[in-house]
Amino acid sequence: MASENDDMGLEMSSITMLNKYSNISESDPFFSSGWDPIVSQSESLGGSSMASHYHLVMENQGISGTSHVSQYQSNPSFVELVPKLTGFDGGNLSQIPGPFSLPQCNQIANSNERGSKNSLRSLDEHRISETLVGTSPNGKIRKRSPESDSPLRSCKNGDEEPGMDLSSEGCDGPREQAGKKPKTEQNSGANSRGKQAAKQDKDSSQSGEAPKENYIHVRARRGQATNSHSLAERLRREKISERMRLLQELVPGCNKITGKAVMLDEIINYVQSLQQQVEFLSMKLATVNPELNLDLDRILSKDILHPQSAAVLGFGPGTNPSGSHTFSPSTFTGTISGFPNTNPGFPPLPQTVLENEVQNLFQMGFYPGSTMDGFGLDGIH
Amino acid sequence: MNKYNPPRMNPSSLRSRFATRFLRTLSKINAQKPTSSSSPTEIFRRYRRIKAAADKSMAYSVRSRRTWSRAMLWKLRTRPCGRRSVKTSTIIKSREARKTRHEKQNKNTTTTTTTTTGEDGVVFGVEADELRELVPGGEAMDLYNLLDETAHYIKCLTTQVQVMKKIADFYSP
Repeated sequence: MASENDDMGLEMSSITMLNKYSNISESDPFFSSGWDPIVSQSESLGGSSMASHYHLVMENQGISGTSHVSQYQSNPSFVELVPKLTGFDGGNLSQIPGPFSLPQCNQIANSNERGSKNSLRSLDEHRISETLVGTSPNGKIRKRSPESDSPLRSCKNGDEEPGMDLSSEGCDGPREQAGKKPKTEQNSGANSRGKQAAKQDKDSSQSGEAPKENYIHVRARRGQATNSHSLAERLRREKISERMRLLQELVPGCNKITGKAVMLDEIINYVQSLQQQVEFLSMKLATVNPELNLDLDRILSKDILHPQSAAVLGFGPGTNPSGSHTFSPSTFTGTISGFPNTNPGFPPLPQTVLENEVQNLFQMGFYPGSTMDGFGLDGIH
Repeated sequence: MNKYNPPRMNPSSLRSRFATRFLRTLSKINAQKPTSSSSPTEIFRRYRRIKAAADKSMAYSVRSRRTWSRAMLWKLRTRPCGRRSVKTSTIIKSREARKTRHEKQNKNTTTTTTTTTGEDGVVFGVEADELRELVPGGEAMDLYNLLDETAHYIKCLTTQVQVMKKIADFYSP
């Protein structure tokens, strides 16, 4: 209870700040008087009238909400507050399956009612604190009352401002720290992952009035859960889809594919095919007996590094028992024409290489003589 | 002497790094080859070494900047010498398994009205595991990093394939 008292103290201060920022005298009596009908309303789950009142207050305090947001962002007590409140309802909510619907929201509301009633009774000392604490579950209930009235299925958190601000601060504190992107995120409809089913159901069941009000602070779009977890999830999902788009460009022939599953399949196939190609090529290289030495490797590297190079080095495997008669004069003659310039010191080499490669040959002391004997001319069959 | 400088690729590009390293290793392997290299076992052994050399060269070209390269290097270091790869069979198996899993998922997704996120989570869970098997070092990564690594891995694999293809073409036009 001590922690609750602390929370209540903080909430009291927040309430005073609320009033200070809003500068609306009626908000005070509204709060003071309004919660009792709310309490009674919670038992009946009626109260669209209350919702309308709440809307008024919220609209009045629209701008103040942002300041509250900034105020409460770092307040850890609100974070504590939310789980505490949800603790009342969590037991009931967790049993609710993932996809929610209107009747489910009612169920949630009912379960919330019970929880909120308990919470209210436990906080009898301070009326303000009581109202404050009551706002959160009550706010949730009231969120659902318009929810139940309206056929809207999508939910938004920012409907009931002052009280919900606090509870939503608790949710939003970490969320806003995580990244204020919800307004820009796509409306993906009802989002519920299995692990967040409870919280999401609660949040997503509160909806619909969002488009009616213009709030400055960042909120999730209509139809999106505003849970901090869900928003982080949504962010993550967008990052993942961005990565998928990148991969789509990498993998050839995937432009028409829509859908992540098929895309992933294609990626997997492509990676597998590439790996198989590497294996096949390495097998091929293993079968082909090498005659090259390091110098040639360097030439080769130049050759490979130049994608436009069509030159084929015709070093003959004179002593190759496996007898890869890979060279033929025809290829040489064909490629000799591509020889831009020859080193004057060299006889025209039977192989065609790019100019710089020949110069490398020259520079490496690759004089015609002993070393050259092993190459080229002998290899021509 | 006329200096004809054709347009050069970036000497420090991935392709050049890999090519130089791989060629060096290849020449080393080829230098060690005994005269009787036509026996299948010998060829197979060389194939294994060449393949390991290719992987190692690629991983070294990337250094430790990528998780997959680090994982591959570690794997190559601790790889036992006589390990046979049953890759093709696993690939086929995984493909079939993936198809069946995919069919099941499609059935599930059509019946349920779950959100796309749930569906994505399910789908990614299946394919992501396969991707994790393919990309070295992918077991311990979340999906986002896995996709990142996959993109880089694909790029490196394509470079590897191109270079090796050129080398093979060089040997046998």
